[in-house]
Amino acid sequence: MEICKARIDSVYNGSAVDGKGLRCVVFFTGCNMRCGFCHNPETWTEKGNEVTLDDLVSKIRRYKSYIKNGGVTLSGGEPFLQADFCKQLIKALHAEGIDSVIIETNGLICDKDLIKQCDGVRLDVKNQDRAVDGRVLDFLRYCCESGKDVTLTNVLVPSLNDTPQKLDIIKNLKNTYPCIKELKFLAFRKLCESKYARLNLPFPYERYPEGCKSDLDRAYAYVGIR
Amino acid sequence: MKFEQWKGFKEGEYQDKIDVRGFINLNYTPYEGDKSFLAEATPRTKMVMEKVNKLLKKEMDNGGVLDVDTEKVSGLLAYDAGYIDKNLDIIVGFQTDEPLKRGVNPFGGMRMARQACEAYGYKLSDKIEENFKYSTTHNDGVFSVYTDEMRAARKVGIITGLPDAYGRGRIIGDYRRVALYGVDYLIQQKKNDKAAYGNNDMTEENIRTLEELHQQIQALNDLKGMAQKYGFDISQPAANAKEAIQWLYFGYLAAIKEQNGAAMSLGRTSTFLDIYIQRDLDNGVLTEEQAQELMDDFVIKLRLSRQLRTPEYNDLFGGDPTWTTESVGGMSLDGRTLVTKNSFRVLNTLYTLGSAPEPNLTILWSDELPDNFKKFCAQVSIDTDSIQYENDDLMRPMYGDDYAIACCVSAMQVGKQMQFFGARCNLAKLLLLTLNGGKDENMGIQVAPEGKQFKGKLDYDEVMKAFDKYNAWLSRLYINTLNVIHRMHDKYAYEKIQMALHDTEVTRFMACGVAGLSVIVDSLSAIKYAEVTPIYGESGLIEDFEIKGDFPKYGNDDDRVDAIAVDILTKFSNELKKNPTYRGSQHTLSALTITSNVVYGKKTGTTPDGRKKGEPFAPGANPMHNREVCGALASLNSVSKLPYSCCQDGISNTFSILPNALGENSDKRISNLSDMLNGYFVNGGHHLNVNVLDREKLVTAMEHPDMYPNITIRVSGYAVNFHKLSKPQQLEVLKRTYHGDM
Repeated sequence: MEICKARIDSVYNGSAVDGKGLRCVVFFTGCNMRCGFCHNPETWTEKGNEVTLDDLVSKIRRYKSYIKNGGVTLSGGEPFLQADFCKQLIKALHAEGIDSVIIETNGLICDKDLIKQCDGVRLDVKNQDRAVDGRVLDFLRYCCESGKDVTLTNVLVPSLNDTPQKLDIIKNLKNTYPCIKELKFLAFRKLCESKYARLNLPFPYERYPEGCKSDLDRAYAYVGIR
Repeated sequence: MKFEQWKGFKEGEYQDKIDVRGFINLNYTPYEGDKSFLAEATPRTKMVMEKVNKLLKKEMDNGGVLDVDTEKVSGLLAYDAGYIDKNLDIIVGFQTDEPLKRGVNPFGGMRMARQACEAYGYKLSDKIEENFKYSTTHNDGVFSVYTDEMRAARKVGIITGLPDAYGRGRIIGDYRRVALYGVDYLIQQKKNDKAAYGNNDMTEENIRTLEELHQQIQALNDLKGMAQKYGFDISQPAANAKEAIQWLYFGYLAAIKEQNGAAMSLGRTSTFLDIYIQRDLDNGVLTEEQAQELMDDFVIKLRLSRQLRTPEYNDLFGGDPTWTTESVGGMSLDGRTLVTKNSFRVLNTLYTLGSAPEPNLTILWSDELPDNFKKFCAQVSIDTDSIQYENDDLMRPMYGDDYAIACCVSAMQVGKQMQFFGARCNLAKLLLLTLNGGKDENMGIQVAPEGKQFKGKLDYDEVMKAFDKYNAWLSRLYINTLNVIHRMHDKYAYEKIQMALHDTEVTRFMACGVAGLSVIVDSLSAIKYAEVTPIYGESGLIEDFEIKGDFPKYGNDDDRVDAIAVDILTKFSNELKKNPTYRGSQHTLSALTITSNVVYGKKTGTTPDGRKKGEPFAPGANPMHNREVCGALASLNSVSKLPYSCCQDGISNTFSILPNALGENSDKRISNLSDMLNGYFVNGGHHLNVNVLDREKLVTAMEHPDMYPNITIRVSGYAVNFHKLSKPQQLEVLKRTYHGDM
């Protein structure tokens, strides 16, 4: 069989904010979007580092003792761009006894097999300066059909998408798709500015202020959570 | 032998010989429940704490020392009784006749005692000066023997922090024996031993043992006298919980009156005391509130123990620590947990009395610990940053289930093993010395035998070949130096009361140590995987390095470099073992710096890893600051690869993480931290200091001390009040990696 390979930026071991429990996070490279608030612009291009399935699995195996109440999160970049590899990876991790492999995605690529195989989805509905893409709705529909739990995330950029109109969209999604078990607003932060500088890229959302806790609280209150 | 005070305890072998472990094993009640039974501080405790906090503030305002008794030499019978408030104190006893007043202990060395007094504006009395003119101190003894080579190694700082001018510490008396047996029985046992050894051939060794037994018996008699000053007769066993705590504390108090060792640890007492508390609770003569109150008052006394130190000493061991280390939890050899309700109570003092660095509460972590206890510990860490963790599953097979931690990470069976504290060698400096052909890189002194100087691009194999030679040289010099120190300490500052609370035949460890581990490891990695060329200065010594290309760095779970760390420790340990030790002690090794990583860094030139001259090392076995980029768990995995088998005196890791990085709410943080600890220890990690805090909070605390007067943080094997650290030490803490702060 052909050796299964992927392009990744890095693996971060010990995140407590990318799903339940402690998690290893695989950052795939290559993305089909260029969000202005993106925290990982280094994953935009496909370059990254080539890894084999075996290497990646044995790397993650070292953390099994920590992540028994957590798991592995596939992030990026956009993992669905390397869907075949992701399917192999999930299979291998399940065989290792790691039973929570979730995917962070923008939901534009509705690969039904991959959705079926994973143990959950964190879908970041971009919802910034434009409407939610129809493909994302397909994606959500399929998650509902296949009984996959979704955590919907949305980066709140003050003055850009914390308006009632924008928040209504989120509220509607939550009410329409029962697979969305959780809704999370993330504050827009500018900690990634130095990354853009290093990559010689302009930081598209430089002009916006950072979000703070009160912005989040207001948004949660508006959509009727907490 | 049966004492009436043992009524209600199960019978066993402990009744016929000294066997505290056997007593505990037969009589303790494992507790797997949660914290909900815990009581709050009583009004009395709160009143006492108000007085204590006033005293502590006064001490701080007074430059760190409240008062010094310059007229007396510290000892068991030197001072009258002292109290916070005679009507309020439940557990009594201070080192001098007033709380926080420090005694003078010149047995380690007169100069140190004199300078310590002067540093705080006091003058040692003429009487003491006169008396010690005619006696030899430990320091006098050591320096009468030190060779030129030893002096040079000490001067350039390749071996430093040596206990050659103060008490060596790191010995734990089995203070529980005082409570369980009463002092008369202990004296009788020692008298029996003395009679038996009297029949041996009078070799130098046997004569020494006999003299020591004589001193031990005298010390036990003095211990009774000391208790009498407080109105207690401790010749018989303790009859209830309050007496058990008091008797035990008197044993410990005698030790810290007699000795000013750097680390004067308490042992493993809370589960032992639980047996007495549980008996009283069962008999209806004690309530949970009263039980907590007893532990609170005991801990208040422990928090107020003090030694008189010089400013130079504080540079090495910042924050005025005493390492009153109490080991809590762990598992029994028969598979039951050694966690009792009193394990919770002693941790609960961080809430009833507020957080504080002492006693140095150390959790003996096992995968098998009750989940409720694991969670409670994690919560205490998150709330107070005051406790540390060590791997019981790693230590229990080596030390059994009645060992305790001395100082930060040194395990020993209580009452059966002791160690000769050996401070540490500076490995980063050893590498520079290797590259400079045996010369110190700062002073230019030819400390070690002359070797070749390295010019041009460094070749890893060649560097290692030369390093091995200097490693052998340093190991021999180091062990020889320690042999001198400990022979003289035994001779001139023998730990009479602490050794009286040991078996007469003890196992001894020669506890060596290393500093600068991550610096030498990353330096060697740079030499191996990048291109490193030394740059020579006018003095003919290496001043800097040109580093071309990248190299793997320790702390990222990268075997290429982590293997170098394992290799260096194994090599150093093997070399040490080639050299004979004083009293046949077993060689052990630690990777621990305390706060001396700052001073060591100051004394060490630029290193091939890119660290500049004078910059601090990372503490203990920590990866170098901010070179860990693969996440908290990768950093932990690197450290957990270091082999405990050749570092049996402990591998210290200090870990700081932002609260938000640990989870978004309190429940998640608790369970994630518990998972993190468990994973680290299952992977073979030995020790972890945990800080869950924001760097910003420390910056604010540094600028506005009054906003966070009691901010406690874990540094390297112990906790300190942040404000008691020197400015450079504070800045180094701020420089460390805070995981999640990417």
